[in-house]
Amino acid sequence: MGNMDPKALRSRVENISNIPTIPSVLKQLSTIIENPKISLNEISHFVSKDPALTTKILQMVNSALYGFPGRISSVNHAVMLLGLNVVKGLLLSVSVFEIMHKAMIGLREHSIGVAIASKVLAQRKGLKEPEEVFVAGLLHDVGKVILTLVYPEDYDKTVKEAEAAGISIFEAERNHFSETHAAVAGWLSEKWHFPKKLCDCIANHHRPQVSTLAPLETAIVHMADILVKARGLGFSGDNLVPEVNPKAWDTLGLAEADLREILKELEDSVEQTEEEFKS
Amino acid sequence: MPKIPVEQLKPGMKLARPLQNSSGMVLMAEGAELTEARISKIENMGVDSVFIDGPSRPAQPKEDLLDALDRRFAKMGGNPQMSLIKKAVREHIEAMYG
Repeated sequence: MGNMDPKALRSRVENISNIPTIPSVLKQLSTIIENPKISLNEISHFVSKDPALTTKILQMVNSALYGFPGRISSVNHAVMLLGLNVVKGLLLSVSVFEIMHKAMIGLREHSIGVAIASKVLAQRKGLKEPEEVFVAGLLHDVGKVILTLVYPEDYDKTVKEAEAAGISIFEAERNHFSETHAAVAGWLSEKWHFPKKLCDCIANHHRPQVSTLAPLETAIVHMADILVKARGLGFSGDNLVPEVNPKAWDTLGLAEADLREILKELEDSVEQTEEEFKS
Repeated sequence: MPKIPVEQLKPGMKLARPLQNSSGMVLMAEGAELTEARISKIENMGVDSVFIDGPSRPAQPKEDLLDALDRRFAKMGGNPQMSLIKKAVREHIEAMYG
């Protein structure tokens, strides 16, 4: 299996709704979110027709992570407090969590960990929208799920190749597909009309030095990914912790004591979240 | 913070999260120190377990977590930033065991 044509790959990824194995909730949600003129009411209406989705999204926004524990009663209310982009991101991630768990055991835990660590870092850096960076963390590896859905056999082979050759998933993907999960997630986040900064962040989390629109946010998700891998929370396909990019490291300027505080906050939040996500 | 079953609660422990009833009303504040009286009140509320302040001990032995940490950093050369990250995680893991 040689290199895939990147254009063909992109077109298949962007048309995931046509793939029969895509879960119907993701298919419908994706269609709704692709519409740039979608209104809050239309999203709320769609969500309220699906009781399971409603329960999951309300559970998520009411978790201690957002600082409104137990107080958000409707999707409309959640959008008012957190913003449309954050709610869109949360909806997409809850609708892929189940497949995520099947695609790669531990990827869901890894993604939640990276989301929390991103938010902790964003708050320490004084960013005004830490929730958006949380969403970038939550969705940063969604490309792995999409590749598994679109090319199940090839992706399985890629994961095994990475392990056998002792290389990162990122490199193995490039060898196999000519593009990576980060690019795939970037294409989709553009198609889903996420803010450009968020797309940049998701697409470049493995090469934060090329980010032009959101260098700080991208450095944050890059670092969050490394910290969660270093701590060994969940599993993302890599057995080794990837090296931190020197430019991202300088952008964040973290000392050892900062790292320990971040790890502590991460650990506490993950523990609480696990309780909340179980129910 | 560990989640402690009600029968293992002891006076002097502090609540790490507020205790709420099903409609969200706070019955005992975060940081409240447990007394015999409060413990029996919690028992009577039909709660199974509560979050208590302090580090929670992971289920695996410390040595296993530290060995796994070494394996994840096995290929790391002399990169000072990666050494610093590894050191911070090692200290973080050690702190979880008190």
